[in-house]
Amino acid sequence: MAATRRLQKELTDLRKAGLSCFRDIIVDEKNMLQWQGLIVPESVPYDKGAFRITIDFPAEYPFKPPKVTFKTKIYHPNIDEKGQVCLPIISAENWKPATKTDQVIQALVALVNTPEPEHPLRADVAEEYTKDKKKFLKNAEEFTRKNSEKRPVDK
Amino acid sequence: MSANGNGSSDRGAPAASAITVTLPTRPSTADGTETDGMKRAAAKQLIEKYYYQLTDGCGNPQCTNQHCASSTVFSQKNLSKNEAAVRALDLFKQKARLCDSTPASKVPKVPIQETGEANHMSTVQSSATERPSTSGGTSSSASATKRTKTPFLTEQKVHAIIEQCQKKGDWSLLIRTVGETFRNAEALNLSFVKQPKSKEQMRSMEEDADKDKDENEKEKENQDSSSASVSPSDETDVDCSTDDEFNKVTLDFNSTRRAFEAMFSVEGLPFLSALNNAIMYLARDVEMQIRYHQASSNPDYINLFLIIMEIPVQQSPEILENAFPMFCKAMGCLPASAQARIAKVWSKFDVVRLQKLLESLQQLITVKIITGQFGRTHTISDDEGIAGAARVMKILYYASMIGGRCDQLELIKEERRVNQEEENAMHEFFQGAMAQEPKDQHQPKPDPLATELQITPIDCRKPLIPFENFINDVVNEHVEMDKDFTNYKSDTGRFSYMMHSFLLSTATKNLGMYFDNRIRMINERRTSMLQSIVHGAPTMPFLRVRVRRDHVIDDALVGLEIAARDNPQDLKKQLYVEFEGEQGIDEGGVSKEFFQLIIEEIFNPDFGMFTYDDETRRVWFNPTSFENDAQFSLIGIVLGLAIYNNVILDINFPMVVYRKLMGKKGTFEDMVDSHPTLASSLQQLLDHDGDVEDDFLLNFVIGFKDVFESTLSHPLKEKGEDIPVTNENREEYVELYADYLLNKSIEKQFRAFKRGFLMVTDESPLKMLFRPEELELLVCGSKDFDFHQLEGATDYDGGFNSGSRSVRNFWEVVHEFSEEQKRQLLQFATGSDRVPVGGLSKLKLIIARNGPDSDRLPTAHTCFNVLLLPDYSTKDKLKERLLKAITHAKGFGML
Repeated sequence: MAATRRLQKELTDLRKAGLSCFRDIIVDEKNMLQWQGLIVPESVPYDKGAFRITIDFPAEYPFKPPKVTFKTKIYHPNIDEKGQVCLPIISAENWKPATKTDQVIQALVALVNTPEPEHPLRADVAEEYTKDKKKFLKNAEEFTRKNSEKRPVDK
Repeated sequence: MSANGNGSSDRGAPAASAITVTLPTRPSTADGTETDGMKRAAAKQLIEKYYYQLTDGCGNPQCTNQHCASSTVFSQKNLSKNEAAVRALDLFKQKARLCDSTPASKVPKVPIQETGEANHMSTVQSSATERPSTSGGTSSSASATKRTKTPFLTEQKVHAIIEQCQKKGDWSLLIRTVGETFRNAEALNLSFVKQPKSKEQMRSMEEDADKDKDENEKEKENQDSSSASVSPSDETDVDCSTDDEFNKVTLDFNSTRRAFEAMFSVEGLPFLSALNNAIMYLARDVEMQIRYHQASSNPDYINLFLIIMEIPVQQSPEILENAFPMFCKAMGCLPASAQARIAKVWSKFDVVRLQKLLESLQQLITVKIITGQFGRTHTISDDEGIAGAARVMKILYYASMIGGRCDQLELIKEERRVNQEEENAMHEFFQGAMAQEPKDQHQPKPDPLATELQITPIDCRKPLIPFENFINDVVNEHVEMDKDFTNYKSDTGRFSYMMHSFLLSTATKNLGMYFDNRIRMINERRTSMLQSIVHGAPTMPFLRVRVRRDHVIDDALVGLEIAARDNPQDLKKQLYVEFEGEQGIDEGGVSKEFFQLIIEEIFNPDFGMFTYDDETRRVWFNPTSFENDAQFSLIGIVLGLAIYNNVILDINFPMVVYRKLMGKKGTFEDMVDSHPTLASSLQQLLDHDGDVEDDFLLNFVIGFKDVFESTLSHPLKEKGEDIPVTNENREEYVELYADYLLNKSIEKQFRAFKRGFLMVTDESPLKMLFRPEELELLVCGSKDFDFHQLEGATDYDGGFNSGSRSVRNFWEVVHEFSEEQKRQLLQFATGSDRVPVGGLSKLKLIIARNGPDSDRLPTAHTCFNVLLLPDYSTKDKLKERLLKAITHAKGFGML
């Protein structure tokens, strides 16, 4: 695999950094191109749960951007029902090969914590978010309680 | 050196008054070329005499001639050499009195007789080839031949003359000088030559101090100055001083331009008709010279062409319409080597200047066509003036290319070598073909200028002047391609637009190629008839392919393979497709469907031959395909047949495929189009400021996926796995990366593909006429954006449905869009302006409501082809916002 050295290094660095918002990183040593992890948001209404994501690195990495998908369902204006998310930092047009995966994760966590209803993937949720924040918070919280994973217990 | 002769004044009347001279400015008649030459020679002698009379005098202290230095009434003492020369011309014009005896040593030995002018010819001609001093004055050598000088111009002279004329309010001197100089090839070649500044000053000082310079010394100095002006000089005010060819030219362009500028700012441009006539004369002269004599070996010979081309002809319709076409005609006769030199010189010019020159030529052609009487018998291919302008434009065309960004010469050579190899291999491949006939000799000949300059249009990435600027609409409107094609084929060296295809639009060129193809088809048909008579074989006038609908690929493969093996010439017959068990007669429609079916099948990613890139919506060769060569050859043949039979295919190859088909190699530059994300990433790798090795942690390995989504990697050079990419070797890495991606990894597949393509097109003028972009246009047709198709397949979200007011407004607005606006909208909403195979309905656009009416601009998620549209209150507002968004939002519109 072409980018093994780079991915190894990024993984080691990420584990060493021990981010509180991204944990449980699972990587199959045989296939460095797929990572799994748990997003642990800090803000309402998502701070009651955790969300599993996968990061898929293309064979051409780092010359093509990785792809992020939510495996856990989430009620969020910028993440659709299939778990797809449109993150500028990893869009084909904006991708920079020097971008490290931890930057991608930081951007993702920031988006989860602070939705951007201006550029929604789910227009209905976005409209609710802007028009009726209370209702949105209620729905999202309920959705999170029902669907999200347990938050890892801090040591 | 004055007054050394014992001149006697008793020889009677001054000779000059008795000699009838023809004023050089008199318009020459076509039949007067010969006598004109003689008269000119005589005139030169006379002017000479005047000059020496002014500078040295006749030597008779009792002389009463007011224009003689020896005379006591002589009014123009202390004339500078230039002034003296000018004055001499003046006197000549006025037929002023000439003393009977100029200093003995300076008088030509041949006695002047009224009818004996021809006797001087030899003297004058021999002197004309000699190089006079560049000081602009005269050499005071004793021998008579040395003194006979050509009236060349310098910038200073032009300024001086203009000033003088301005003072007098009489422009006859300027008119005369212009008339004399511009009709004389030798004079022009000597005009405006470069002069090393320091030397020039030095020389003039010397000359002032010591007029009686030793002859030897003078001689030596002449050599000095001429050699100095030839060698790369220390001039800094010239456009560029790196290229040899440019510096070898002795012409001082800046000086020339300043001189013309001065001339053309004279009010009323009184010299125009003189200039016009002179150039007409010159053109005839030069053309004769080039056509019927050996072209001059004098390296300065191109100077005169360069000078004339500097004339701002656009300021003067008279010249543009009369003298300029004639001169272009003469210039078009120049041998390729001289044209190549001019091209090289021009390539160093400023783009603006080249543009101007192009404009003049275009204007000339347009005016000629519009004012000319052209019809079926006398087509615009037959007009010599237009032909000349086109030939000159060709020089400019090549200049624009070599001055632009071109591929490295090594790369071009390498490509030529590989192409040759492949061609040989192909011929070997056909060795076994049964009915292989000797190759016909109709292969398009390469352009001599291209050979001379070692460049073809395809080698140039970005010319100084865009290729499109060379296209002349009026030509395209009026050209009779069938007639022109006859000229092209008739080997008589007649002018053909086919050989000057830069003037033609893609559509017109296609017409030219269509004739070529049809003729070939008819030829094949005839051969087939002949064979049936001679060998008793059944006639096969068509390339007949019989296929079963559910086995199109296999049957086509077998059918075409047999045809190719049997006789590759069969591929050049008209295609005739039959579907098994169907009644359709192929008048074009059936083959169209046949092509469509093959394309659909073969480009289906599941078929395994090609991969499809979602991001660019383009197909690429599958480097890990299991298919054999024959299938790739088939698709090549199909592509060729489509062009040959004028069928448009629904194929989405990146440009580099067409470049490669035309014999180029893919380079990093091509990746911008074929693999945009990779290209931008690699560019960032090249531009990275920090430590590449630490930040990227890369080795000389490339990773890619096969069609089954499994990851593969390949070392880019030996032991590439162990070689880290560093700041020092990153360029090599990128080069190898691109080479592997675009060439090496698909080498086998592409070679087969190209071979198939060449089987059909190898003899057609395709490669000569078209650039890769145009080839794509031929294969795929122009992209038309069927937005009704798009509308039919669009989904709605966020509260919109197909009946929503804003949605209705949206479609009404976009259906009114221009093609360019539609393209922009497509780019904006989906990140690519490519129409996917199968049309826009395959795009799956989603229009989502993005909140109620507001001033926000529409946005898009190119990742999922989602267009976010606020629920605008009015149609006008929607249109305004939408247009603003698509025209200004370049690239990714945030989240």
